Amino acid sequence: MIFLKDISTPINKVDNDEKMSGKAKYVADIKMEGMLYAFTVRSSIVKGRIVSITYPKIPDGYFVVDHRDILGKNIVKVIYEDMPVFTKNEITYLYEPISLLVGPDKEVLSTLVNQIEIIYEEEEPVFDWVDSVIHYHFEKGKGFEVFSDKEIIEYTYETSYQEQAYIEPQGFIGYPEKDGKVTLVGSIQCPYYVKNAVIQALGVRDDQVRVIQAMVGGAFGGKEEFPSLLACQLAVAVQKIKKPIKIIYEREEDMLVTTKRHPSRITLKAAIENKKIIALSANAGIDAGANIGLSGVVLARALLASTGAYTIDNIAVSGDVFKTNTVPNGAFRGFGAPQMFFAIEMFIEHVAKKIGVDSLDFRRSILAKQNDLTSTKGIFRDPILMPEMIDKALEVSDYLRKKDEYSKSKDFKGIGLSLFFHGCGFTGSGEKNVIKAKVRLKKELDQVYILIAAVDMGQGVKTSFRKLVAHILDIDIEQVIFNNPDTDFVPDSGPTVASRTMMIVGGIVARAAKEVKERWNEASFVVEKQYEQPEYIEYDEATFTGDAYPAYSWGVNIVEVEVDKLSYQVHIKKSWSVYDVGKAIDERIVIGQADGGLAQGLGYGYLEVMNHKNGKILQKNMTDYIIPTAMDMCPMETYLFDNPYAYGPYGAKGVGELSLIGGAPAVAKAIENAINKNVYKIPVTPEYIMELMNDGEN
Amino acid sequence: MAKISFVLNGKTVEFESDLNRRLLDVLRDDFNLTGPKEGCGEGECGACAVLMNHEIVNSCCTPLANVIGKSITTIEGFASTKRYVVIKDAFAKTGGVQCGFCTPGMIIATESLLNKNPHPTEYEIKIGLSGNLCRCTGYNLIVEAVKEAAKNGEGLW
Amino acid sequence: MVNAFVPKNLNHCLEILNDQNVRIVAGGTDILIQNRSHTSMLIGFKSDVVYIANLEELNKIYEDDEFIYIGSCVSLEKIIEETKVPKLLRDTILEMASPAIRHTGTLGGNIGNASPAGDSLVSLYVLDCELEIKSYNNTRRVMLIDFIQGVRKINLERNELITKIILPKAEFTNSYFKKVGPRLTDAISKLSFSGAYKVNKKVITDIRIAFGAVSKTIVRSKEIENRIIGLKIKDIAGMVNEIVSWYEPLIKPIDDQRSNKEYRKEVALNLLRDFLRNLEG
Repeated sequence: MIFLKDISTPINKVDNDEKMSGKAKYVADIKMEGMLYAFTVRSSIVKGRIVSITYPKIPDGYFVVDHRDILGKNIVKVIYEDMPVFTKNEITYLYEPISLLVGPDKEVLSTLVNQIEIIYEEEEPVFDWVDSVIHYHFEKGKGFEVFSDKEIIEYTYETSYQEQAYIEPQGFIGYPEKDGKVTLVGSIQCPYYVKNAVIQALGVRDDQVRVIQAMVGGAFGGKEEFPSLLACQLAVAVQKIKKPIKIIYEREEDMLVTTKRHPSRITLKAAIENKKIIALSANAGIDAGANIGLSGVVLARALLASTGAYTIDNIAVSGDVFKTNTVPNGAFRGFGAPQMFFAIEMFIEHVAKKIGVDSLDFRRSILAKQNDLTSTKGIFRDPILMPEMIDKALEVSDYLRKKDEYSKSKDFKGIGLSLFFHGCGFTGSGEKNVIKAKVRLKKELDQVYILIAAVDMGQGVKTSFRKLVAHILDIDIEQVIFNNPDTDFVPDSGPTVASRTMMIVGGIVARAAKEVKERWNEASFVVEKQYEQPEYIEYDEATFTGDAYPAYSWGVNIVEVEVDKLSYQVHIKKSWSVYDVGKAIDERIVIGQADGGLAQGLGYGYLEVMNHKNGKILQKNMTDYIIPTAMDMCPMETYLFDNPYAYGPYGAKGVGELSLIGGAPAVAKAIENAINKNVYKIPVTPEYIMELMNDGEN
Repeated sequence: MAKISFVLNGKTVEFESDLNRRLLDVLRDDFNLTGPKEGCGEGECGACAVLMNHEIVNSCCTPLANVIGKSITTIEGFASTKRYVVIKDAFAKTGGVQCGFCTPGMIIATESLLNKNPHPTEYEIKIGLSGNLCRCTGYNLIVEAVKEAAKNGEGLW
Repeated sequence: MVNAFVPKNLNHCLEILNDQNVRIVAGGTDILIQNRSHTSMLIGFKSDVVYIANLEELNKIYEDDEFIYIGSCVSLEKIIEETKVPKLLRDTILEMASPAIRHTGTLGGNIGNASPAGDSLVSLYVLDCELEIKSYNNTRRVMLIDFIQGVRKINLERNELITKIILPKAEFTNSYFKKVGPRLTDAISKLSFSGAYKVNKKVITDIRIAFGAVSKTIVRSKEIENRIIGLKIKDIAGMVNEIVSWYEPLIKPIDDQRSNKEYRKEVALNLLRDFLRNLEG
């Protein structure tokens, strides 16, 4: 019997043993009898069209699967549908998928792939950000133009690709079941995204596709929408060949062709009067790559964050999604917010420097407060604890003394502070109008089954949800069962994204659990509940007006660095973080998320380099794409402030993405403090630092 | 084809195989030991790590030919030892497991380290883990787990 | 069909090299990746291979009055543990790769690879490394600096094998290796620097300086070193910029996915400057 006092008290994660002992089965570990393998045939040009493809003689038992085999629609179902399952002949990015070669022996498949002859007609690719396919703009207050006679300070900031670099590459196994049903088992975040995409590609009924989540070895957004493409290709093959087929990407293929964080260019302008910002203009561009997918939502989330953790009454915000002939970009933890928070945090720092005021005092004076209007004229309805959180962070890090000392010394030591929030849940009216999440709890005698589509990808959903239900029902956690989501058995509770799982899905599960508790004496029954949006949330997506998010989580990061004077390498010495996530359903799990998110945010800010040359990603393996190792990572101190949110279970708000948002600006500011130069782009590599030290001359 | 013989998880195995194979594939395909994973295929991430003569090696860049006459321990073999129990309790206590994909490799690295150096400093722990990449945890909770295991080792190492 | 040979002893190995056209595989940590095909498939070797890692004769470390002899297949980790080996080399190897790779990687493999970014090579150049090369009917010795002729180009006949790494015993007042990589461990160098010197009565009696990853091969200039030998430490202090300018034309790095030539050059010369400014004694 596990006696849970405060829900935040940590318990042993329920899947620790199977993972540690090597027993846990990820999709590559699964074998099926008669299993075939698939290799993907991809374009070797960046832009143009296929004039002809000549396949070698295909032996018995081997198959080519391409657009001709698609019985449904040759379009992957994502928010903006412009990605084909298999291209017919148009090529818009290097390595665009053309077909699958399927068969029992990889040696044979490998030989066959090498014998394929494709004749292309090449066209001039576009890499410059000139083709705007989505444009948004909105204003608040008096906008910006009316203030153009004031002192205007303007800077432009750039962010680059970031690769999710989950240690487990992408993959699926697909197999046929009775009566033409296709089942897919995969490393995924969103079982229903995959199911709905496959239904569309196969042109079949809802009950003819089944999607099961395998154990997932990390995802971070990289397995949010990309798997839908892979699943459609595989499902078409399974539908045609009627045998089990396994497709696992190896690291190089994964790195070259899957979605990455959108590169961005953000220009911020401030109208200054009496050493105050009286208006702000933000213009953001992001690079979607060759397909738009969910880039519009990434842009929206970025724009919604354009005033940072601050309240500015007059703003004009605009942004564009640009299409280029590069690998399509997609979801990555933070989803547009990391780009914008880097820009706005650096901007406030640079503005304060320019007008000659202390940047911390300056930021404190414009910090968002409860009941302030958000950037979209919604309201910050809940208490905002940022002033106390900042005090705590300053105290534990000795920030003020260090900042002063490092500013004066020639030692290349520096300390930086970032303030940020993350809007919890799907941006805008997605929860109410699109997802309409449903959950079920099934009671069978003394056991309760949690039936939701939420995926545990390491963030501990299995543990925290079983804990939640056990706590509400006041039963042993062993009586609560939560199996990997299988669309044949669970309703669509929405995708595992947007920091929505505990707050939104957990909220519905908590309501369901309360009903189960009331009816506990009944032997067996099912309770189903659906998402109910709090009445006060109203949002008009077209005009960017109202409450874009039901709740906000807040954070403070402080990072201390030392820059090597000879090599300009950055050593991160220590970090201190303070977060308000409402209420931790398991404190140890939340700290783990906090550490991991900050590690990724820091990597984004100073270490992880990815670029393309003529449409080809230059870093295609773990040797060339540098993520932090144990030796690179600094000790981290994290503090959680309780600030319960009325509609989250036990007051919980979103956790998953918050801790990635502040790392890059914090480390960039620390480097600025160390070298006494302004930083305008990330990652702040030693090469960039050298450029700055040489004042842009080489 | 050649006759291969080595000790695998404490038992001698003998079989015929082409020599030009990666140890990782032999373990996963021939012996169904899926504990060692393929994360990168180039010796960078450590997810494929096993013990060879009690030292950590990356099985994705160890040729089968070099394994002849050696002793190989995968996580499955190590999981039946007393040392494993101490390590796994430590990882659970500190929260060092998230998605779990790097975890078998991290545990192998921990054993390889403590076997040679039962009381490592924090710096030595980080060197010991330097070839194992983790994307979920930010490493600190894993370093704490190794410290905890060393502390609770009590003569096991 | 690719054949694999596992020789019983060194002699047998040399016979195989003589009779067949084979690729030599020691630890495999580089070669298996260079010849990677796909998961569950045979390693994609394009020629027959001979596996030498377990040959006893190649796995010994010993010394005599003049030299230290390291078998070409001794694992990098074993070399770190052997105190006979010069500290400079041990410190260098500790910065390479990761424990797992050091348990099977070898100096023979590093040298055979002859990568311009090879960390161990930089310090081996500084230590005036010689190699013993054997074939079925011949044994020869060659200086490492003559053995490596270009990017991955070595002076090795088809039937020859590197058997020993031979390091002349030398005493240094100080030695120093600095690797500049994209992160603190487990990474290919952007550039590296190795230096060693001896001071007697405040005069430099021996100085060796080498750079890695800034040219097609490791950069070391005995000619420049001879200009420095015989100088007083306090005179060098005033000549640092001049000495740096002597090395400047030899540093010819490239742009690649890891870094650019401006950075490599400036940092290489920074490291040199710092080394010269901090000479002890």
